[in-house]
Amino acid sequence: MATSTRSSRRRIAGTIVLLFAIIALFVVKLVDIQIVRAETLNAESLGNRSVEQPVYGSRGDILDANGVVLAGTVMRYNITLSPRNAVEFTRTTDAGEVTVTVAQAAAEVGALTGKTGDSILQVISGALAKDKSSDYAYVAKAVDVDVFRAVDKLEIPWIYFEKNPSRVYPDGAVAGNLVGFVSSGGEAQAGLELGQDSCLASTNGVETYEKGADGVRLPQSTVTTSQARNGGDVVTTVDSDLQWYVQQVLAKQAKATGAAWGNVVVQEVKTGKLVAVADYPSVDPNNVNGTENPDDRGSRAFTASFEPGSTFKALTAASVLDAGLASPGSKIVAPYRYLPSNGANVNDSSGHADLNLTMTGVLIESSNTGMSKFGELLSDQQRYDYMTRFGLGKATEAQFPAEDSGILHAWENWDSQTKYATMFGQGLTTTALQVSSIYQAIGNNGVRLPVQLVEGCRHADGTMTDVPATAGSQVVSPTAARDTADMLEMVYQKGWLAAKWNIPGYRVAAKTGTAQMPNGQGGYTRGYLVSVSGFAPADDPQYVVSVSLADPVKLNSSAASAPVFQEVMSQVLKKYRAVPSGAAAPALPGTW
Amino acid sequence: MSDNLARVPRPNWDNTPDTAQAHDTRHIEIVSTRSQRRARPRIVYALSAVAGMATIVIIQLLLSVGISQGAYEVSRLQASQVELGRTAESVTEDLVRISSPQNLAANAEALGMVSNSNPVYLRLSDGAVLGAPASATGSQGGAASLVPNALLAGVPLVTQLPQGAGQGASVGGAAADSPAKVAGVVPTPAPNGIPTPATR
Repeated sequence: MATSTRSSRRRIAGTIVLLFAIIALFVVKLVDIQIVRAETLNAESLGNRSVEQPVYGSRGDILDANGVVLAGTVMRYNITLSPRNAVEFTRTTDAGEVTVTVAQAAAEVGALTGKTGDSILQVISGALAKDKSSDYAYVAKAVDVDVFRAVDKLEIPWIYFEKNPSRVYPDGAVAGNLVGFVSSGGEAQAGLELGQDSCLASTNGVETYEKGADGVRLPQSTVTTSQARNGGDVVTTVDSDLQWYVQQVLAKQAKATGAAWGNVVVQEVKTGKLVAVADYPSVDPNNVNGTENPDDRGSRAFTASFEPGSTFKALTAASVLDAGLASPGSKIVAPYRYLPSNGANVNDSSGHADLNLTMTGVLIESSNTGMSKFGELLSDQQRYDYMTRFGLGKATEAQFPAEDSGILHAWENWDSQTKYATMFGQGLTTTALQVSSIYQAIGNNGVRLPVQLVEGCRHADGTMTDVPATAGSQVVSPTAARDTADMLEMVYQKGWLAAKWNIPGYRVAAKTGTAQMPNGQGGYTRGYLVSVSGFAPADDPQYVVSVSLADPVKLNSSAASAPVFQEVMSQVLKKYRAVPSGAAAPALPGTW
Repeated sequence: MSDNLARVPRPNWDNTPDTAQAHDTRHIEIVSTRSQRRARPRIVYALSAVAGMATIVIIQLLLSVGISQGAYEVSRLQASQVELGRTAESVTEDLVRISSPQNLAANAEALGMVSNSNPVYLRLSDGAVLGAPASATGSQGGAASLVPNALLAGVPLVTQLPQGAGQGASVGGAAADSPAKVAGVVPTPAPNGIPTPATR
């Protein structure tokens, strides 16, 4: 009895010890797997079945005023291959299994991507020469869906694809000067693409999912690591149809007259919105390299300032009228050469006897000496103040990248010649936008409105942000603006280009300019910048059209720009159904 | 049988009347003991529990088979959605491209249209003509597009399409034919070649 008890106790003790030993072993192993090596093992197991892929946020569109897409995002595909795996393979066809050699496959891909088979073989051999285990080389970048599908159909095991969201500009060079472009890597380079990048830019997200051995995504395993965010749409004030027409007319005339460059601005008088800003030459954002000169890839209307010349006389006249120092009928004698007491020397463009002109007549004849006699009624500081109120010397509110502010020196620094030159648009520079803005203020009863190119940034939920301010400022009195408009209408009717810019049935106010162009070394070149600015209908101004052509060698006067003004203004009035009032124009005397 | 033992009838323990027993049709039943009665349901419970577990396991298996079958279905549908999305994107791109102003203008010109940049209005209230009517000079006439669009390379004009290929042409032809059939008369062409519509 005693021995059996002792042996059974020993057996029980042995069992317990063994049990504990096994449990201890398990615990150690468990701790090792679950805690010590947990992360490595987890990563290893996930790596075997989890797939991480980018989710592309779409860069926002740039739209015209009617919602026409000027710049949009499309999905393109990069074709890549694995050089070290590039070997022959078998393909199952209707005729059975066929062996396809590397050269055959390369020729097939080449035919679809517009390359030769040899060039693709060179990609393979080149990559292998650099790195024997090379696993990645580009065959073609940014091919469209059709090519992607065709290449995919070849089922070449060592060809891979990657997504490459790209930018497309469906209207080509229409508004290409404004829209700008992005680099092949997707970086904003110019124009609104650059200026509105904060609105347009998207953020890519990442998602991971787990896949089974056959590559099928396991249900419920998708984890969005970071959310993709689409960019907002930039809504511009430009009308793409009108923009096309204006660009076409400008390009035709610029080519016919041999102009170096030119631009046309069409602005709404009552809102300050730009409905068309055409540049010549201009860029097709789909083919940026097709425009060789980098200066031609932007918008000179915004980025190049020039001495405006006689179109500027409207500003001087409006300033003098606003100060109450003269009226449209005020009389002066305009000589060919005027030598004011401060030592300046003012000439008219061509010799003439003394003319008995009213202020209206000074504008019709575009007399520099006559305008000097009115301009000197104001102090330099007063004229400077008027100029700044008309928006000169600072960039417009359009917020275009690299916009030029123009050069307007402080009045204290004007020398005796500049004091007079600034009365008729020399000795200072303006952009085409600033000239247009001067006429907008005159047409809008003296209220200058901010120049507007962008309506705002529209988000996916329909809300608009970054809406520019629209509050205007009274630059000159309504009466002074009205009187200036009447005088400009006389210029349109009686000026030397009256037959060239006539729009039958409409009342138009316009002024020409022929300005010497600086040569960049303090002097002037032999070329001229010829321009016409004006608005219509004159009795209820709706649209400003401002045309500038630089150095039209075949027709070096504002007669070169007048037909553009006529065609564009007609189209604008027709497009926006500006009905002629039928009222008679005022008759202001030009001489006495 | 001659002994004269007292014949005490067996006490009726089970309260079954003798008369009933006598009339019954030999229904004999083993009466289980109390412990037996308790033991029997335990087996039933065990069996039903095992059956239940088996059912759950089978259902779970079927469910997971169903779900993974669904995964293949989802995967297939997602792939086809991606493909259809690509097609939609590609045709939209084509549409946007050919509706660009350059293409429209080139086609209009190819069809012989010219733009009249001289606007004139007819006021319906009093029939007044606003503006000065003049014939179109065709300001764009003959001018090649000076506003390039690299996307339009290789896009043919409507006039260059093979006859009958353009859907618009056949639709236009049908529309021109049908009024003549209905009216039963062929509209007489005007001197300038534009057919006069028969209005009644």
